[in-house]
Parts: sequence; C-alpha cells; structure tokens
Amino acid sequence: MNKVSLILSWLSLRSTSVSLPQRFLQPHFSHPAGQQGLSKRVLGASLIALGLPMSLQADALPDLKGREVVVVTENAYPPLQFVDPKTGEAIGWEYDAMNELAKRLNFTLVIENSSWDAMIPAISEAQFDIGMTGITIREDRKEKVDFSAPYMRSEMFMLVRADEDRFANAEEFAALEDGLVGAQAGTTPFYTAVYEVLDGDEQNPRIKLFETFGASVQALRSNDVDLVLTDGTAGNGYVNANPESFKLVGDAMGSEDFGFIFPKGSDLLAPINAGIASLKEDGTLDQLNTTWFLDYELGR
Amino acid sequence: MTQHKQQDDPSDSDFPWWLVVTLLIGAWLGYRIVSDDLYTEVFGILVKGIGVTTFVTVTAFTLASALGLLLAAAVLSPWLVVRQCARFYIEIMRGIPMLVLLFYIAFVAAPGLVTLANALFGQWMDAPLRTRDFSLMWRAIAALTLGYSAFIAEVFRAGILSVGRGQSEAALSLGLTPFSRFRYVIFPQAFRTILPPLGNDFIAMIKDSALVSVLGVADITQLGKIYAAGSFRFMETYNIVAYIYLLVTIVLSLLLRRLESRLRQSQSQIDPGS
Repeated sequence: MNKVSLILSWLSLRSTSVSLPQRFLQPHFSHPAGQQGLSKRVLGASLIALGLPMSLQADALPDLKGREVVVVTENAYPPLQFVDPKTGEAIGWEYDAMNELAKRLNFTLVIENSSWDAMIPAISEAQFDIGMTGITIREDRKEKVDFSAPYMRSEMFMLVRADEDRFANAEEFAALEDGLVGAQAGTTPFYTAVYEVLDGDEQNPRIKLFETFGASVQALRSNDVDLVLTDGTAGNGYVNANPESFKLVGDAMGSEDFGFIFPKGSDLLAPINAGIASLKEDGTLDQLNTTWFLDYELGR
Repeated sequence: MTQHKQQDDPSDSDFPWWLVVTLLIGAWLGYRIVSDDLYTEVFGILVKGIGVTTFVTVTAFTLASALGLLLAAAVLSPWLVVRQCARFYIEIMRGIPMLVLLFYIAFVAAPGLVTLANALFGQWMDAPLRTRDFSLMWRAIAALTLGYSAFIAEVFRAGILSVGRGQSEAALSLGLTPFSRFRYVIFPQAFRTILPPLGNDFIAMIKDSALVSVLGVADITQLGKIYAAGSFRFMETYNIVAYIYLLVTIVLSLLLRRLESRLRQSQSQIDPGS
C-alpha cells in the first residue's frame, strides 16, 4: 500500500474537519492522454516546492553543533522515501533533502522506521524528533504536532483504465451518467470528486467508497468503477508499473502542501525552517524535483 | 478411575491430499521464485522478515503461555477475589480485537506507564524515563502477550479440568504437596488435551503477528507493504507474503500433528486394556 492511501486513510479518520483543497493554485498543464513522457512532465510540474518570504544566507544558518536528531519515516511513499526494489536501500527526495539539511545545520541524522498509523501519535508524544513521510499540512493535525514550512506541493490527477475513451477530463466524466468514481470516504480525492468533478452531493450514488486507495485502484482495474483520483506521484507509479492497465487523463485538480512534523513546541522547528528556506533559495529543491520526478523512473 | 478410551481421529489415517495440493501450489510458487526475476527479488527481500516475525511470535507466545498458566491457576483458585480478578482480565482481553489492543498498548498504556513511573520513582532516577526508551517492537510483543494470555488461560483451564477429580484425590492420598500434585500428576495428563488448542493458538499468533506491522515493526508483512509501495506490484508481493506465512505455519502444523499422535500412542501403551 502506498503512502497516499495511508494519508488518505488517516484523513478518513478525521473526516469531520476536512477542509476542501485549495483550488487551482498552480498553473494548469494540459495533459495529452496516454503519453508517458508527457505524464512525467506533468508530474514534475505537479510537485513544486514553495518559496518562503524570508531570505537567508547559507552562512547565517543556525548551528545545531552535531546534536542527534531522530527522523522517522515509513519508506512507503515513492519517490519521497521508499525502498529501492532492486537494491533494498532506502532512498528518495526526502532523504536527500534531510541529508542536506543535516549538513547545513550541522546535526547528526538518525533514521528510524515506523508505519503511517503510528507516526503522528509517536511524534506527538516526542518519541521521535521529526516525521517525514509526505505529510499534508492540515489545521486539524496542528492540534497534535507542529508543521515545518511547506517543502512540496502535490496535486490530484484522474487515473483511468488504459482503454478508456468515453471521457478525458472532469467535465466529460460528469456528463457520463453511468460513470462511477472510486474513493475513500472523507479523503481529499473524495471531496475533490464531490465538489470539483460531480455535483457537490456527498451522497451521490456515482461515488463508490473503498477501504483503501489500493482497493479503489483494483476496483478500477476490474471495471467496478471508471475513475480514481490520485496524487500525481502514486498515479504515475501505477501507470508505469501497469502501462497496459492504466493511464492518467485531464488536468491537475485540488492541491496539498507537504511539511515535516515535530512534537509540539520543538526547538528544531525554527532551524529546519531556516534550512528549508536556504534549500529553496539556492535551487536545491528544484534540483531534487528534477532528479526524483523527471529523471528517476518509478516502478521500473 | 475414569479413563475414557480416546477416539481415533479419522483424518489421521486419511491420505493427506490437502498436503499434496498445498505442496503443488507451493511447488508452482517456488518455481516462479526461481524462474521469474521479479518473484526472486520480492522473495529475497521478504525472507529477511522471517527473523523478526519468528522473534516476535516466539517471545510473545512464551510469555503468554507463562501468564496464561498463572491465570488458569488463578481462575481455579480457592479464593473468590483471585478468581474474579482473573476472570475479569480474561473476559476483557478476550473481547478486545488484537489490532485495537496494539494501539492501546503502544499509544495509551506505554506513555501512561512512563508518566506514572516518573511520578512515583522520578526522585530516585538520574534522568526521567522516556517513552522512546521502549521500542515499538517491545510494545507490540507486550500487546500480543496480554491478548493471547487470555485465550491460553482458557486452554489451560479446560485441560486441567479434563483430568479426573480422582487423580487429584489419589495424589492427595499419597501425601504430595499441591505443587507436586500439579507438576507430576495433573499437568502431564492435562498436557495431552492442551496441546492441540495450544498449537492452534500458536499458528493463529504467527498470523496475528502480521498486525505488528501497523507499528512499523519490520516483519514479513511490513517488508511486503514497503516493497509493494516502491514497486507498485501488489499481486506478486502478497503472493510471496502468503507463501512465506504458509511455509512457516504448515511446517509447524505438521510437527504439531506428529507430536500429538506420538502422545496418543504413548497413552495407549500406558492403558493397553482400556
């Protein structure tokens, strides 16, 4: 199961206070159906590191004097952090970013593993110092943990069967009266489906609810539903691993920002934010986006 | 002395067709593992989880058996308060799903106990205890131990009660102490009754140990979850996960059946006439 579905399953537990995604903050990229090279470009564009207002020189960064910082991750959200199927090594965008932060801020990085279910509780009780696992910055989670400044933006795409020719964007899908969409209740894809694709009725019978993201993708494969909304990263991974079964169509929809999480009141928050600002400033984050979203071939 | 002749298990003398079918499926998957690069890769990564799964299961099962035996003794004790406390514990633990118990132990009980320990003994400690000093793996083992001790206590209780009252009276008349009565007379006889359900619990626990992956413990299931997330190959990964669990449980199952039938044979040698 990938991290997106785990994020989504967390969201579904907190569905009472789910806010609608910010709409269309990014310029749209039209996405000709079925061309993988182009879908990768869209994916890269879908994850854009955010700038911060302040500007910091690298030499003005705080010095943590080699102190030990325990960072916890699950390794289940490619390409942010995952285990390379070929080598068994843990790699990814977030590992590179965190290693660079450790270098610039002078701290000793210790990596621990936990699962998504355990992460927010474990961080909130300060069992680890930082959690990194593509965590969407959300108001309700801020009651439990502190968030860093955003370092990445993710957007939703439409995942369909490879032979789908009845629709190629949200409007055409909405017009297709017997078209079904699979989602998890209370998650960002669910609300995007209700408010940006369909008619705003959360009871709409065209939405079929599933327990996990993986289950909704299997339902798509087996013709039980016709559309699944997904983060560009996960969607592209499914397409790459099963090009005969899936493709991405349409424009990017609702977007979310990712941040690292800290125990409430952590003294690491300010230094890490300064570090993220400096990574943004000198283009390191853009470079990581190129490395992991454009050059690296997932699911191959 | 009321010694019933034990009925033969008809499935004992059957030709084990189920095993043949299982072996055929196993052979097919084994062939895939050898011949298909993807399967080879998944298998190579997942077998590393066998060690963790085995450690968690064996540790938790040993602790749960010890606790279960104490609980069974408590339930059969002559004192009302002890009996009621044990019964309360068993009913509560047996009624809570293992997954819920895991989350309780990991995120409610462990931090709570640390806070309590610091409040009570903090003045005698150099540095306050931290929740992070107790790894998620040991919290998972604790949860499995507490949950399974309730089931195992019931197994022991039923086994002990299955030994005729006359046995206990005979032992008493020989002047044995209560502990010796239990150790040399009651328990060896009860063990035959206990073994099949205890083996059942052990195999159930191997499978339930997959739940510890929700805490991020790197067992077979968690490694499979991570591999599937990185490769987007769900079917192949979970085929191998299931294959490894079956490998372990079927081998154990066969060993248990052999042990059982050996105990039955030695029983019939003791009472040839019955």
